[in-house]
Amino acid sequence: MANTNVKTSAAPAAKEPTLAPDEVLRIDGLSIHFGGLKAVDNLSFAIKEKEIFGLIGPNGAGKTTVFNCITQFYTPNAGSVLFRTNSGAVENLVGKPVHTIIRKGLVRTFQNVELIPELSIIDNVLIGAHSDFKCGMFSQALKLPGARKEERKMRQKAMDVLEFMGIADLSETPCGGLPYGIRKKVEMARTLMCNPKLIILDEPAAGLNDVETQQLAETIYQVRDKYHCTVLLVEHDMRLVMSICDRICAISFGKFLACGTPAEIQQNKQVQEAYLGVSEEAYEKEEKV
Amino acid sequence: MGNTPLATANRSLAWRLWHNHNLRFVLFGLVIATVPLWVSMGVFKTSWLGILGGTVIYAIAAQGMNLLLGYSGLISLGTAGFMGLGAYISAYVTGDMGLPWEVGIIAAVVICLILGLLVGLASLRIEGLYLGIVTLCVAEVLRKTFDEFTAITGGFSGKSANFPTLLGLFKLNQGQTFVLLVVVMVLIMMLTWNLVHGQLGRAFHAMRGSQVAAQAMGVSLMKYRLVSFALATAFAALAGALYAHFTRFVYPSTWALTLSLNILAMVIIGGPRSIYGMFWGALVVYAVPDLFLKQIPVIGDIGGLAYVFSGVLIILVVLFYPGGVVNIAQDVKKLLRKITGKGKKEVSGNG
Repeated sequence: MANTNVKTSAAPAAKEPTLAPDEVLRIDGLSIHFGGLKAVDNLSFAIKEKEIFGLIGPNGAGKTTVFNCITQFYTPNAGSVLFRTNSGAVENLVGKPVHTIIRKGLVRTFQNVELIPELSIIDNVLIGAHSDFKCGMFSQALKLPGARKEERKMRQKAMDVLEFMGIADLSETPCGGLPYGIRKKVEMARTLMCNPKLIILDEPAAGLNDVETQQLAETIYQVRDKYHCTVLLVEHDMRLVMSICDRICAISFGKFLACGTPAEIQQNKQVQEAYLGVSEEAYEKEEKV
Repeated sequence: MGNTPLATANRSLAWRLWHNHNLRFVLFGLVIATVPLWVSMGVFKTSWLGILGGTVIYAIAAQGMNLLLGYSGLISLGTAGFMGLGAYISAYVTGDMGLPWEVGIIAAVVICLILGLLVGLASLRIEGLYLGIVTLCVAEVLRKTFDEFTAITGGFSGKSANFPTLLGLFKLNQGQTFVLLVVVMVLIMMLTWNLVHGQLGRAFHAMRGSQVAAQAMGVSLMKYRLVSFALATAFAALAGALYAHFTRFVYPSTWALTLSLNILAMVIIGGPRSIYGMFWGALVVYAVPDLFLKQIPVIGDIGGLAYVFSGVLIILVVLFYPGGVVNIAQDVKKLLRKITGKGKKEVSGNG
């Protein structure tokens, strides 16, 4: 399905952006190169609403680069990133300023948890609600009633989110020095503050032990069900990916390999080769051809 | 930071009053405002009033630096330039143009704010030490202007100003001006507290922590860097304008790099990201050398002793006491508890 768009992708979406009604994000012919290195090459896939979608690939396949292209940390050289925003409109994210992306309902976590060690957990979580604050600087500086009310409301929301993540009792603890598992939870809580439509998780299971990974899978399900959002995740832990993802897209060296259900991906020849290499016989056969 | 309404709702009134930050700032200010009283009673020397007034003024400028360096993680070596500019503008507006004191202060703050925004624009493209160099250049250009632009600044011979006349009615003397300085400092402390404990402060924190993560959370680097610079220069200009009306004389040589460095030192020694720390930092860096070091025989006569003192202190604080002198009282309390042996109960009671 994703391959059908390859031809049209060369011209970046000048025409009306379109998404199928059940899709939340569609990447079309995405390409980015750094100097001579093609980090992502003509990649296309689409994510359906309420789906848990995995992006996998061997080391250096360009998974994080794809993330960065979606969230506009990198501007892709070609291709489009269509996203159905919170308001229901379909927008091409390419070229939009990075800090405006979260307002559209697309939020991400980081591979190496990016929290502020000096701030308490709740303050860290409140950073996620940054774009939702409407009061101006003036009313904040003078703590006018509007600003107070807003702050109270957001704090309550943050407490609810922390409650949901099961770390409400730690809300006033500074983030520095907390165990890795809890910091990951805080980061996840932070993403939930902005009423996300799509959450992008960059290696959520990295550094977690088996029990914590199990809990993480549970959390991801709960997040999807309670907050009605879609989850896109990059992960190396194959057990996690295969068990929780509805569909998976596999890439290698920036190129699309396959897209399908976990079972399909596991059976796919190209994916197996990309991960495990080519068997000697197959290699010889290929040579002869 | 334990200021959640949830946690404080069911405490007693006395507890809430004692933990009300605004009330504490006012009490803090009241204590400092008694200095003129002590001077008139002869407990403090007359010269102490001038020195402590300077301390309060520098504490205001340092508060701006605190927002910039402590919270936002940006650096500026241009504080002195903006303070000087504020001082000259206020002196010119009140002296040569004959306008009220309040107008002078506002003019100083507004003009410097605009300049600060321009420097902030530069900060969008430059990082770290290079930003320090650019701001230093701005300050040096300003300082040279103070030297040469005699029509307004009076050049090397300096420019004079008067004690403020509040609302055109109350002409203040030195002691009363000191109280005014303290009032302004307390207001600035409250303002800073409000700002850093809200959305803006969190945005600054996020920016310092990681620019990438900050942007991903919706923090516009451009906006908040500009805001940070604007606030820092506005505070510096305010401090400079107050300086002109407190010391009643403005010389170009005051606004040199050493002053900018001293203000950096105040932030670091006082304790970055601490609001009271700025006053303690200013006290240690500015007042202590003048009040005490100069009294020491032989060593006290060395020129530039104050700089040696603050230099050594920066190194010591950064290496051994990164929280800054603002934490001394707490740490001493802890130590005392340990010594008296009733530590555990007290700690859990407070925690």
